[in-house]
Amino acid sequence: MALDKLKRIDESKLEVPMDYKPGMHVPGIIYVDDNLEKDLEVESVDQVANVATLPGIIKAATAMPDIHTGYGFPIGGVAAFDLKDGIVSPGGVGYDINCGVRLLRSNLRKEEIIPKMKELVNVLFSEIPSGVGSKGRMRLGPDDERRIMTKGALWAVENGLGEQSDIEKIESAGRIDGADPSLVSARAYERGRAQQGTLGSGNHFLEIQFVDKIYDEKAANALGLFAGQITVMIHTGSRGFGHQVCSDFLEVMERAAEKYKIELYDRELACAPFQSPEAQDYLAAMRAAANYAWANRQCIMHWTRETFMKVLGASPGALGMSLVYDVAHNVAKVEDHVVNGKKKKLVVHRKGATRAFPPGHPELPECYRHLGQPVLIPGDMGRASFVLLGTEKAMQETFGSTCHGAGRLMSRHQAIRKAKGRAIWRELEDKGIIVRSAGRSTLAEEMSEAYKDVSDVVEVVHKAGISTKVARLRPLGVVKG
Amino acid sequence: MLDISGDAGIAAFGRDLKELFENAAAGMYSLITDIGSLHESKSIDIAVENDSLERLLVAWLNELIFRFDVDGFIAKRVVITGFSVSPEESLHGGETEKPFAVRASLSGEEFDPARHEGKLLLKAATYHNLRIEKKNDIWRSEIIFDI
Repeated sequence: MALDKLKRIDESKLEVPMDYKPGMHVPGIIYVDDNLEKDLEVESVDQVANVATLPGIIKAATAMPDIHTGYGFPIGGVAAFDLKDGIVSPGGVGYDINCGVRLLRSNLRKEEIIPKMKELVNVLFSEIPSGVGSKGRMRLGPDDERRIMTKGALWAVENGLGEQSDIEKIESAGRIDGADPSLVSARAYERGRAQQGTLGSGNHFLEIQFVDKIYDEKAANALGLFAGQITVMIHTGSRGFGHQVCSDFLEVMERAAEKYKIELYDRELACAPFQSPEAQDYLAAMRAAANYAWANRQCIMHWTRETFMKVLGASPGALGMSLVYDVAHNVAKVEDHVVNGKKKKLVVHRKGATRAFPPGHPELPECYRHLGQPVLIPGDMGRASFVLLGTEKAMQETFGSTCHGAGRLMSRHQAIRKAKGRAIWRELEDKGIIVRSAGRSTLAEEMSEAYKDVSDVVEVVHKAGISTKVARLRPLGVVKG
Repeated sequence: MLDISGDAGIAAFGRDLKELFENAAAGMYSLITDIGSLHESKSIDIAVENDSLERLLVAWLNELIFRFDVDGFIAKRVVITGFSVSPEESLHGGETEKPFAVRASLSGEEFDPARHEGKLLLKAATYHNLRIEKKNDIWRSEIIFDI
């Protein structure tokens, strides 16, 4: 398959035409401009085309500008399926179910905490478990785990980890209905027991940032953001619990695809008809894992607030650290969308894509309904992250979705080779960024050059109108796994 | 070690399938830490079965990831003590529907972040571009892990 088959629709979109590959039911649409088109991997384009061959797919297999090759489905992909003829696939969600991002605001200004930055990063690093082989601060019994699976972030709040007011500022109020703990394997329970309240490793992080640019003053105001302000971003997911749910159901789905005679280009696309017991069971277990992830980010946020109080010796009122929003970027949800002028329920898979609902959408919390959904886009540890808002255009074009991050450019190995002989932590320190990481090679693997520039990615979705820029955040202190 | 955007993979070899599975395990462990730094203070036995060779390999590695994730157990030495690839040879005397089976004895210790280098945190072994093939009497497999 060749990239020269792709057709440019406009300055922000490419079409993967139906004749790219036999069996495509719909075209593929990739949101990239000329600049990012240069970095497109053929394999990821093939994966967009493969998704377009799945039964019951609606309108198009869509990919965001941070697209890169994944397993079965590309990362940065959105695929919506009909509930009658369509399918559900664990590969369309990914191993890290409800990997997502949460952003906290504060009353602090950059200058106030720079002298304390090293101490803050060190204490956060010791208070919040991260890295290979790390254990959480809690040991959960099966009953606790069941409650987490059905209550999500609310479980943490009920256990003193956070405020009731946090809940409304989380996508789906931090809990998707329809989770069924009895459909989660004993192995997932075991893996989840000691991993609640842990950051993980890889691209996950906790970052102290400052607001360095405001694009939309009115929206920033409504979100409680101002120039020079300190924010904290948390990027993590459902940890081993969600990985096990995904692994368990990939096997179930592979057999199901055979049983229901669904032809697959790639076994990681394994899926089952939405109405089948296999698909319904997966969704019920996936929701349990999504809720586990929301509880996880809630716990980590609580300990972050505690750490700030301790290190800065300030009261909660003075710090004013409250949740701006929390988004999931690896999840499948049943949502209402308009297809050919008619309202329809669809199962929308977002794998490395963020929901971006428009102003007025009934699923948005009241405090943000007039604005549109806040969208949080983490970048690499040396550059920037963004706050965007969802739009009506996203609803019309991408099932209310936008990008999720920078997207990798180099393999981990390439990055390590490129970083050889360099002290990445010192390079970052020279730029005013303090980093601590559990793994020795993590900093090399995660260095800026290993990623696309998140600003380029955000520029595409902003120009395409599927979300709009509100603020840019720059890192000051980073905790990595 | 194989290069793949965002993740990590290994190529493992063996004169027979038993050796291939042992080497795949050792290769995978080497992504997590420097296995030379491990002691053999604890032993565990593992048995995994499945209905195809590829599924068995993925299930075998996922079992080791599971043990690492739950107990922190990581092996320095992996010895396959039983291996079957057909219903006749099955460990269960041919009565199982899952004729591909592996049984192993592993010795190692609990991972200690203070003493052992943490390299990659593996979420799962995947089917992505999974290959198991025999060429010139040597078995070879490529496995990609989600990081």
